[in-house]
Amino acid sequence: MSQTATPAAAPPPPATAPAPAASAPVAAPQPGTSYIDTPALLNRWQLIGMSVAIVFGIVSALVQFVGWQSDGRAADDTEQLVRVQEIQSSLLRADALSTNAFLVAGLEDPAQRQEYDDAIDTVLRDIANAAEAQPADRKALAALNEQVDTYATYIAQARANNRQGFPVGAGYQTAASDQLRNAAIPVLDALVEANTDRADGAMGGQHPIWLGIVGLAALAGLWWLNRELARAFRRRLNKGLVVAAAIVAVVTLVTTAGAWIRDSSNDALRDGEFQDAVSSAVARTAANDAKANESLRLIKRGSGADNEKKWGELAAVVEKKAPATDLESWSTYTERHAQIVKADDSNRWSDAVDIATTDDEKTGSTAPFNRFDASLADDITKASGAAIDDLRSGRVIALMLSALTLLLGVAAALAVARGIGQRRREFS
Amino acid sequence: MKQSRSRLGVAAAVLALLALAGCSYDATKVPTHKESPAAEPTPASCETTDADLRSYDPSKAAGDAVNRIRKAGVLKIGVSADTLLLGARNPSTNAIEGFDIDVANQIAKALGVEPQYRVINAGQRIELLEDREIDIVARNMTINCTRWQSVAFSAEYYRAGQKVLVRPDVADKYAGPQDLAGLKVCAPTGTTSVDNIKAAEPDVISEPALTHTGCLVKFQQGQVDAITGDDTVLAGLVAQDKLYAAVPKQDAFTKEPYGIATNADDKDLVAFINAVLEDMRTNGTWQKSYDTWLKPYLLIDATQPQPAYGRP
Repeated sequence: MSQTATPAAAPPPPATAPAPAASAPVAAPQPGTSYIDTPALLNRWQLIGMSVAIVFGIVSALVQFVGWQSDGRAADDTEQLVRVQEIQSSLLRADALSTNAFLVAGLEDPAQRQEYDDAIDTVLRDIANAAEAQPADRKALAALNEQVDTYATYIAQARANNRQGFPVGAGYQTAASDQLRNAAIPVLDALVEANTDRADGAMGGQHPIWLGIVGLAALAGLWWLNRELARAFRRRLNKGLVVAAAIVAVVTLVTTAGAWIRDSSNDALRDGEFQDAVSSAVARTAANDAKANESLRLIKRGSGADNEKKWGELAAVVEKKAPATDLESWSTYTERHAQIVKADDSNRWSDAVDIATTDDEKTGSTAPFNRFDASLADDITKASGAAIDDLRSGRVIALMLSALTLLLGVAAALAVARGIGQRRREFS
Repeated sequence: MKQSRSRLGVAAAVLALLALAGCSYDATKVPTHKESPAAEPTPASCETTDADLRSYDPSKAAGDAVNRIRKAGVLKIGVSADTLLLGARNPSTNAIEGFDIDVANQIAKALGVEPQYRVINAGQRIELLEDREIDIVARNMTINCTRWQSVAFSAEYYRAGQKVLVRPDVADKYAGPQDLAGLKVCAPTGTTSVDNIKAAEPDVISEPALTHTGCLVKFQQGQVDAITGDDTVLAGLVAQDKLYAAVPKQDAFTKEPYGIATNADDKDLVAFINAVLEDMRTNGTWQKSYDTWLKPYLLIDATQPQPAYGRP
């Protein structure tokens, strides 16, 4: 590659210069003979070339590491978001079950009671897991834990008083539902918003452009160095610099392409499985809130206009956010709800309560609702699982590539040293 | 020099790496919930006298209101579903039962229509009558001159009185309103009950709830020290928590004559209701209902109040 030519550089300076006498006055600088200190220049170029390669290796590896870390955080944040949304929907599921049970005259259905207990257990377990998983959520989760405790206590009091025939049970039921909506749900909304923003932001952690810019900057540096060497030594190319540039070019190409693919995959995920999981969770929360409002309407017996209005708003959210495949059971539920409204408005309150509380698939609103709720829960598990798996896939390779980039940066630096060392030897 | 520069570079790189590796999120903000301020009660614009207890002369002649209700086939009644003894949901049967409900059912029966209950709170009573969303209110509603300006009342069907409910240990030593100084007293929002106590003891702290049952929840949770309301309502609250709640012996702060309320224009309906109340007096249904619901708790041998008519 390199061509043989007579070095144009000046000969080396004398090894030592006589030291001036300590007491002698400092002479004014005189314009001396113009010559170039080639070894010093070569040292400086070697330092610059190696620094370019090392800095390229470090920065490029760092950008990849940040991407690797962001994907991991996106997976963790998505898991946390799913957890928080599960808390929200489970809590409203518990409220839907407790308000529905309150409507039933006489003994409480043990299966429904068990389902309520399971929902509260899920909430408490998820709160503990969420607090462990994300320190930034701990304060909010601690506040939520207090709210859930108060809610569960009020429901227990409602149940105990109801069992004894005391109307104060209705007071506790109302206090629990009000407290849930006024105090606990706003905390959950804040948690959902924060974790959505975090997951969304972390999914944008791949930076192919940065990698490209870093690579091009390193190549520009090596090109400049080669040009300077070529001018000094009359050789067009320096083998070591060419090898270093090849390493930088290949690494830049591979890492930029990898980051671009990952970034595109994250964009697709954000609009795909991640969005599906979030939308299904929003639909499930709204659906359970709607079912609870259906019961609250009947509990208020003629004064539930606000609850019916709220039901309409929540139903619109469900229809907008739920997957189309699940809407058949929701449609059946809304038809039964319309029957409830008609019966209640026609002074057939008992009939309305029967439709709202019976588990009969052909006549009641609860059975199609439960089917819809189960389908949504299944959708959330599948979509969030796919999103998390995707974010976690290939992370080991990404980390290895990041480490390899660092090593290749060192290799490029050694190639630079070797290339310039060759010139040094030639000069000697 | 070169060595120190390269060390500096390595240190900077390591620091950058650590900074990125350790980057953490801002803490999630915790929203705070503030309870909306309670509605202020409407101050009395007049002074209630015995003349305000006068209602329209009893008559079963059908006028516009009675015909409208018969045509609809239902009597829309504003009731309470959580005031034990007066109007409360029976959790075993889901039926709303109580003294007020018995009176309302007698009116619906006499009209030959089905009763349609609408559960309302105290603050909704006048508004719903004015908007004609309900035909009558049978919800321990006191007859007074201010309300006569908005609605019409039947003759008095029960005479209650405002008292206070406290814990039994406080009840044992209770000597009068002065013992309530510095205590939190609960009454439903929009009522003047606490103001009546404050007239006797200004250092009472008002702590409202939406209903008397809401007050009982707060009382059981230790958030308030006393509840004030009609003796009939307080008797129902004590019946739900005999170990923790008691109504001490005391003079009533006020007299609370109950009437069935209607829209101010429905004079024929009021006259019809008065005729039904007269029937209840003569056929013993009022007494039977009182003996069933209130007597076991109030321990008073009450009879139906004497009506006053002659309102023009």
